[in-house]
Amino acid sequence: MSARDRILGRIRRVATGDDIVWQGGGATPAIARTSGADRVERFIAQATAADATVTRLDGLADLPAALAEELRNRNLPAAIRHGAEPDFAALDWGTVAASQGMGRIDEPATLSKARCAMAETGTLVLTSGPDNPVTLTFLGETHFVVVDAADIEAGFEGVFADLRAAGSSPRTVNMVTGPSRSADIGQVLQLGAHGPIALHIFVLGA
Amino acid sequence: MSLHASTTPQFKQNSRDALADENLQSALRSARNGFVGKRAIARAKMGEDEFDALRNRGRDLKNHVLANLGDYLEAYEREVIASGGHVHWAETAADAQAIVLDICRKAGAKTVNKGKTMISEECGINDHLSANGITPVETDLGEYIIQLRDETPSHIIAPAVHVTVPQVREEFLKAHTHLDPDRDLSGLDTLLKEARAVLRAKYFEAQVGITGANMLIAETGQSVIVTNEGNGDLSQSLPKVHIVMASIEKIVPTMEDAATVLRILARSATGQDMSVYTTFSQGPRRAGDPDGPEEYHVVLLDNGRSNMLGTEFQDMLRCIRCGACMNHCPVYQTVGGHAYGWVYPGPMGAVLTPSLIGVEEGGHLPNASTFCGRCEDVCPMRIPLPKMMRHWREREFERNLTPAATRWGLGIWGWFAKRPALYRLATRGGMAGLRLLGRGRGRLGKVPLAGSWTDARDMPAPQGDTFMAQWRAKR
Amino acid sequence: MPRVALFVTCLVDMFRPSVGFATVKLLEDAGCTVEVPEAQTCCGQPAYNSGDRATAAQIAQQVIVAFESYDYVVAPSGSCAGTIVKDYPDLVQGAWVPRAQALAAKTHEITSFLVDVLGVESVTADMPRLATYHDSCSGLRTLGVRDQPRKLLASTGVTVREMDEAEVCCGFGGTFCVKYPDISASMVADKVRHATDTGAELLLAGDLGCLMNMAGKASREGRGIEVRHVVEVLAGMTDTPAIGEPK
Repeated sequence: MSARDRILGRIRRVATGDDIVWQGGGATPAIARTSGADRVERFIAQATAADATVTRLDGLADLPAALAEELRNRNLPAAIRHGAEPDFAALDWGTVAASQGMGRIDEPATLSKARCAMAETGTLVLTSGPDNPVTLTFLGETHFVVVDAADIEAGFEGVFADLRAAGSSPRTVNMVTGPSRSADIGQVLQLGAHGPIALHIFVLGA
Repeated sequence: MSLHASTTPQFKQNSRDALADENLQSALRSARNGFVGKRAIARAKMGEDEFDALRNRGRDLKNHVLANLGDYLEAYEREVIASGGHVHWAETAADAQAIVLDICRKAGAKTVNKGKTMISEECGINDHLSANGITPVETDLGEYIIQLRDETPSHIIAPAVHVTVPQVREEFLKAHTHLDPDRDLSGLDTLLKEARAVLRAKYFEAQVGITGANMLIAETGQSVIVTNEGNGDLSQSLPKVHIVMASIEKIVPTMEDAATVLRILARSATGQDMSVYTTFSQGPRRAGDPDGPEEYHVVLLDNGRSNMLGTEFQDMLRCIRCGACMNHCPVYQTVGGHAYGWVYPGPMGAVLTPSLIGVEEGGHLPNASTFCGRCEDVCPMRIPLPKMMRHWREREFERNLTPAATRWGLGIWGWFAKRPALYRLATRGGMAGLRLLGRGRGRLGKVPLAGSWTDARDMPAPQGDTFMAQWRAKR
Repeated sequence: MPRVALFVTCLVDMFRPSVGFATVKLLEDAGCTVEVPEAQTCCGQPAYNSGDRATAAQIAQQVIVAFESYDYVVAPSGSCAGTIVKDYPDLVQGAWVPRAQALAAKTHEITSFLVDVLGVESVTADMPRLATYHDSCSGLRTLGVRDQPRKLLASTGVTVREMDEAEVCCGFGGTFCVKYPDISASMVADKVRHATDTGAELLLAGDLGCLMNMAGKASREGRGIEVRHVVEVLAGMTDTPAIGEPK
């Protein structure tokens, strides 16, 4: 008998099932039920409370200039690393040197497109793939993320519905709420533990 | 040694050492109120009723999973395999060690990066890898600090909570010998930057990354980790091989059920609405993916848990390892995590440790509680921790493991307590004796056989005759 | 007129009868007839918490028999009342279970009984003093005793200045304090420090175990704070020396 059979055998001797037809989730709190403009407002407020910074843009066309300005303001080199995201491919980055590929050991600034986001907690949802190498989310010192306002869901339920509707099954789904942090040195919270020291979000549209 | 070695039988000595350790006491004082206050605020921000409704939902969810655990584990396994991953079943810590070592060897690993996993601590994975010529590198900053100090975690979510800043500085100066010994490490930020730079290089060197799992989702075969640093993600995204170490009770049926747990986990643990990184991982990298691991392995650990099903300790398997019970425990706050002597400290450890290493070895822990009930009050999964500690005391009493003096004292007291008339006489006589000893001072500095009390505090003397005697005289 | 049985508690019986008499006064002032069943000793908690379930169950049955004929059972202790309310129904078996449940349903801690059951808004004592209040664990977390003593204290003119960590255990814990004396000593030192840091003249609580622990530490450290059971203040019976103080 294998370890698997022995473990399952022991479990089944006592855990003989219940009669519940399980419905996942439930007890959704009010903070996860915002709608309309409130939803975008809550997303921004929560992301900001989690130490992210946020800029609202009318549309994708405004992104290169806004990104260039953010890089300048943060004293970062005029360079950005991103994946094969179709939205980015069509853009003229102007003076910013854009390169494509996964994250490298020294990566001052990276750019990702979020699949969707969650107002409940100010969380970005990124899915891995050629368009969005997962390492860009963690290796950039400053991580820039673009999200369409229309893709901001109220809570987890909407996010999971989006993921199911997309029909894809990415290797990783990354939920990101603010920049990396640790309180492991002296119980004092500091930003930028291993991942980004700063997270900046561009919310596109209304 | 297959399991992590324990010093739990020396709990009393461990706690005396902890009380005498000024660095530890200073670290415990600075951690003490942070966690408590932050959880209370996070709960209030959601709305206390809604938060408590989620706790009920979490309890029901896990009860349902445990009742159907076999089916859910098989469903989960099917999904992992369907997405190109491998599932390994480990009955014991030794099995888990062998499985992990085998995967590492096949990957030709010289170094292995580790995200925070308590299961790995439980199984002594680091020692086993080291003994076999593979270097484990802890990447969680707290775990990294204690690895440098050759210690075990003292808290399940804040492993280095017992370490003071000067101690961190000292370890970095000792360990990072490639850097200028006269460099300025005075600021907290300089320490963080140095750790970040040192560990960043290590992410690119390892052939295997090991993480834990906060949940395993049966519907999708995803493993879920929750971190604030991002180390768990770098550990699983850069090496060729990702190993997930998870115990069998981590299953939830659906993604929405994971949301139920996530909504209470961080709020209970650190008081955050959401941890910074919540990552759902499924199988190896997809065709065309530029990064991510080429192999994905899940080690499903039992190590005594299946034996807890169907017993009075089953509810403990609902635990989501948030640490709220220890954050709110006055005993934990007084002695810290190391005094508990094994992997899991605080109230959850007091219940789990005897289950996993035996009540002979872990029997002190369920006794070292005042039953103040604060742990159960804050547990997101509503685990009746004091009740289960009492069950352990009952097992010890049944098996004659309770100390002889305690049994003897209880026996005499119980004999009288069941005979009210004799009890009246005995208590009247005893109190008269104590009053004599007190000689009108109102209190006693020393009482025969009561040194445990009077070493630290006076014993208030009885006021006069017993209430029962006075009452009878009056009415 | 409700017939109330007083569950004196073993510690009050032995060490501080004045708490029993203060409880009787409060109950009688509120219009109750008070009786004290002879066949009481202890609630059985020491056995129950030491793992001796059989002895605890025998004592529980003895308490059920002695007290079940009254309208209410009241104790000047959240800990002992909590044992009857929460633990007895789990502890006994068979035909005893419904009797334990019936007893649990009519058993109360004194301040909670006055406020929640009898609807008492104020007591007659006049006590314009500064106090701090320790919330004993069982009363607070098992029975929800928190606002009731504070409400009644306010009616006597007592000002309660809250200490840090008022809801944290004092380190008594029944046999815990003698099984793990070092940890207990550290906990009660913290508690007494928090209490005296408020500048209050009085440290009050609703359980004699906690009070003896705190009073013993306060006197050992020469803290000069007067430690009393809350009912002594509510009944206006503060002419007796405070806990651990000479006559």
